Amino acid sequence: MSKTVVPVGPFHPLLEEAEFFRLHVDGETVTDIDVDIGYMHRGHEFISERKTFTQSIFLVERICGICSTSHPIAFVHAVEDVDDVDIPIRAAYIRTLIGELERIHSHLLWLGLAGHFIGYDTLWMWAWRYREPILEIFETITGNRNHYGMMRVGGVARDVPPEAVPPLLETLELVERKMDMIAKAAADDPVLRTRLKGVGVLSRQAAVDYCAVGPTARASGVAIDVRKDEPKDAYGLVDFKVIVLENGDVYDKLVVRILEIVESVKIVRQCLERLKTAPGPILNDVKETSAGEGIGRYEAPRGEVFHYVRTDGSNRPLRHKVRAPSYVNIPTCAASCKGIPLADALITLASVDPCYCCTERAIHIVGEGGVRAQVDLAQLSRQKTERLRREIHG
Amino acid sequence: MAERNHFLDGLEGKIGRTAAKKGRLYFEVAVKDLHDVVRHLFLGQGCRLSTASAMEMRRGLEVLYHFSHDATGRYYCPRVVLTDLEDPKMPSIAPIIKGAEWIEREISELFGIVFEGHPWPERLLTRDHPHPPDRPLRLRRKP
Amino acid sequence: MSWKNRRLAKSLWVFHASASPCNNCDIEILDLLTPRYDVERFGIKLVGSIRHADVLLVTGIMNDKVAPRLRRLYEQAPRPVFVVGIGACPTTRCCFKESYNVSPGRGDVIPVDLYVEGCPPKPEAMIDAIVKLVGVLNG
Repeated sequence: MSKTVVPVGPFHPLLEEAEFFRLHVDGETVTDIDVDIGYMHRGHEFISERKTFTQSIFLVERICGICSTSHPIAFVHAVEDVDDVDIPIRAAYIRTLIGELERIHSHLLWLGLAGHFIGYDTLWMWAWRYREPILEIFETITGNRNHYGMMRVGGVARDVPPEAVPPLLETLELVERKMDMIAKAAADDPVLRTRLKGVGVLSRQAAVDYCAVGPTARASGVAIDVRKDEPKDAYGLVDFKVIVLENGDVYDKLVVRILEIVESVKIVRQCLERLKTAPGPILNDVKETSAGEGIGRYEAPRGEVFHYVRTDGSNRPLRHKVRAPSYVNIPTCAASCKGIPLADALITLASVDPCYCCTERAIHIVGEGGVRAQVDLAQLSRQKTERLRREIHG
Repeated sequence: MAERNHFLDGLEGKIGRTAAKKGRLYFEVAVKDLHDVVRHLFLGQGCRLSTASAMEMRRGLEVLYHFSHDATGRYYCPRVVLTDLEDPKMPSIAPIIKGAEWIEREISELFGIVFEGHPWPERLLTRDHPHPPDRPLRLRRKP
Repeated sequence: MSWKNRRLAKSLWVFHASASPCNNCDIEILDLLTPRYDVERFGIKLVGSIRHADVLLVTGIMNDKVAPRLRRLYEQAPRPVFVVGIGACPTTRCCFKESYNVSPGRGDVIPVDLYVEGCPPKPEAMIDAIVKLVGVLNG
């Protein structure tokens, strides 16, 4: 039942007038880029001041659907930081488990999109097909494929009973095998390498100047990862590597994400094994929070999610500031897109993995030929891949 | 936190009221010393700007910068308080840190603070908006 | 008109407009195209232009910046067009009712014919909604 039919057109919403990225071109080379956001602006910080802490957890989950557990984890870290609250060990393993599973599903999602943008629709279908077992694991543990509602201040909401672990380990093994196959297919393909190597380079200095985070920064040689810099939950208790590469091009960003999936599978396995025997409750019930301020962060699939909370002793935040990783990563497109051919524009913009809940995927190109839309960019991108394939395979 | 003293060496006389917690240091800075402090943290010590948050309090509008020192996982947060609520103005740090451009545009939009020296002070979230909200996060509140 | 509707029901072309969602519903919609759920076997496909579409899928709370553009999109769609609101957001604005960026009265933006509830609705729920729509079109 493998699919070869390609949906026509951009499959991200393309409102005709909405302009998100405006690319200025000279001939077929991109000279400048202008970003317009606000189509998703829902006023989270405003609403959060009118909700209790527990209600805010559900609210911040809905900032983004793909990294829907990163925001709650960062938020509960911030509230726990006000009074230095400790969480029980079982809760720590469960939080890390959910967070890493989310990283796997998010990177697979990105892999599929990247494949679609360069014309490898089979990669898209396979990557998304093997997301499904991960979403099944989520449904078993939390009750929902997305928007889990698992986090609470002081712990987690639901437990993973020891008898549930063996079937989860089996599903994980399936995902690991398939990931291996997909990774080898991507790495061994000469067309993919030619297509993506040296494209859309973000230099190390630019990554530092823009304060980039996540795989976007790590592919450019900036070795930052909240999981190692400030290990919370169970990150200090499990073994894993931080993947850092040097070239900063789209190929490196792809490799960073693929290798991170492999590391995440290791972490998930370790957490599931420990959950078979770790003792204790899953929630340290926090009855009140004193007046003060707290900073919480978490390494989401796209980078560091930052939450700041100011409290006044009541059960509502006085001020809640949210900063998603795409907020600092998207402006780096201005640096990585300068001077690249138009056919590479789409994959370069997609390589920072803009969490498109803060963005629209409508791209307008402004040049002498008038205004063109994203669907033309996708076509240009696929045509380039075809050309390279003919050159390499003859 | 003995390390705190070495970290902020060179900024004597510029650091006001300080609050220290595990891994976090919040300190007040006068508006005129902001650029020196930011240069010390970003260029001198290699910190990364995570974000900046603004808040309206009874004593004025507070802008709190969050600098992350990734090598140690600690946060250094200079705080600036603007007492003029009718026409709040302060120098922009975007000429020093490119990553601060969007952050300051957003604070400007939501709180009405003018950042002098910002390369492109356009609205960020409500450009081309049919009826843009007027400084929606400005509300009188008890601190 | 009803024989045209029956013909439409054989292969619905869908335009997906996201109006300030959290993108979870959009991912679940795209999931419908992937091998597990595979709605292309029903003849349903996503199109790139509203002028080719029979169904307009709307997700999200339709905030003030997006609302005029969404309205323009709806006006450009050739009739008959069926508007399907996916998720809890088009129905009730979910938890964002109090935001300063939404005007009250969700019905003011565009008229919605079919609501699919859930946050996000499972792909099975969306397929069920499609089947209902096809049933209605078939009379």
